[in-house]
Amino acid sequence: MPAPVRTLDTSGRLCPFPIVETAKAVRVLDEGAVLLVISTDAGIATDMPMWCKATRNEHLGTFRDGASWKSFVRKRAR
Amino acid sequence: MRKQGKAIAMISGGLDSTLALALVRRQGIEVKAVNFYTGFCITETQRRKGGRADGSVPRNEALRAAADLEVDIEYVDISGAEYLDMLVHPKYGYGANANPCVDCRVFMMRKAKEIMEAEGADFVFTGEVLGQRPKSQRRDTLRIIERDSGLDGRLLRPLSAKLLPPTLPELEGIVDRELLEAVSGRSRHRQMELAKELGVVDWPQPAGGCCYLTDESFAKKFFDVLDSREAAGEERRIVPEDVVLLSTGRHFRLSPRAKLVVGRSEVENALLEHHVPGRARLEAKDVLGPIALVEGEPTWEERMLAARIVARYGKGKDASRVAVEWREGELVETYEVEPERDEARVEALRI
Ligand code: SF4
Repeated sequence: MPAPVRTLDTSGRLCPFPIVETAKAVRVLDEGAVLLVISTDAGIATDMPMWCKATRNEHLGTFRDGASWKSFVRKRAR
Repeated sequence: MRKQGKAIAMISGGLDSTLALALVRRQGIEVKAVNFYTGFCITETQRRKGGRADGSVPRNEALRAAADLEVDIEYVDISGAEYLDMLVHPKYGYGANANPCVDCRVFMMRKAKEIMEAEGADFVFTGEVLGQRPKSQRRDTLRIIERDSGLDGRLLRPLSAKLLPPTLPELEGIVDRELLEAVSGRSRHRQMELAKELGVVDWPQPAGGCCYLTDESFAKKFFDVLDSREAAGEERRIVPEDVVLLSTGRHFRLSPRAKLVVGRSEVENALLEHHVPGRARLEAKDVLGPIALVEGEPTWEERMLAARIVARYGKGKDASRVAVEWREGELVETYEVEPERDEARVEALRI
């Protein structure tokens, strides 16, 4: 995975807040930059790819890491 | 040439809102979807509790709909004090349960109007269908929602548009009325056809039923909180913490001033642990059992009763005595009680 420029830890926050926070973080990211989102809400595994598709950002992958999930998102050029 | 327009879509992710989205998108109109977080969504709450009983994790349908149609989506959190106040004092009253759908829609549409203005959009649209729900989707109610939200003329219902007066975006040539629909009533026949025509293949089954406020047993607990606050001489109100607790555990009304909540699973027990401050925490000492909370000011008899009920739901239910720990701030006491065996009595207290 490419190195993220920022890591957003949403541990303990539940649906839909991991996505709400991701949206806020991506908004201020430079185009092409990668964000790593850590979440403990299992729903992230389906939500993140869907959110990326809806907002035309690139979903690089979501992986389980113990009790949490790691999602890599690349901000698309508009 | 039609004017290029922009619209705000209120979507739940159900079939109707997905179709409305597709109907507007196919006219080349730029759409931004919004989904309102009320704090009463059953799907979200199931996810908070680690998925459904069968272990599957429910999808977020609004996200799924936006993803399928490649429409930008924003979540709007409306779960604060203003929304809770509306729930307690709805101008247009409740539906069958604790659901003040008309007021709730007005509330959401007002927010949608703010977003429309901030985004420089021309109109707001929804998946509402004329006559589909007994109260909130009657012709006169649809009109009230439009008027009270301040969206006058800028609220489009694409699925029923041809049965309703033309809206401003139709008159201004932003939306082609001919490409909208004339669906009404509860039959989903036309929606099924439309799904085929528009290439919509995925929607949640069964439809609807995502809001706790429409749930009968939730409504009982909701009104119980309001009524007992009133009976105890307090204001009728609901606070955010109530919302979490109302969907967690078995609830027993001990008196207007005291309520017992007993966890039903590991996850619920863990959730209750987050709400211990300001309440008494009960747990059987030497045998496995649920975590329980008592709210309010119980009398001595009510404390004993609460302890007996907690003992009843643990592994010690058949024992003659169970030690139940009562922890309240600094105070820790142990009550030796017999598990409550009077089924009818327990049921009578159940909210
Ligand atoms: S079902 Fe619930 S969310 Fe939907 S309009 Fe009624 S009260 Fe609001």
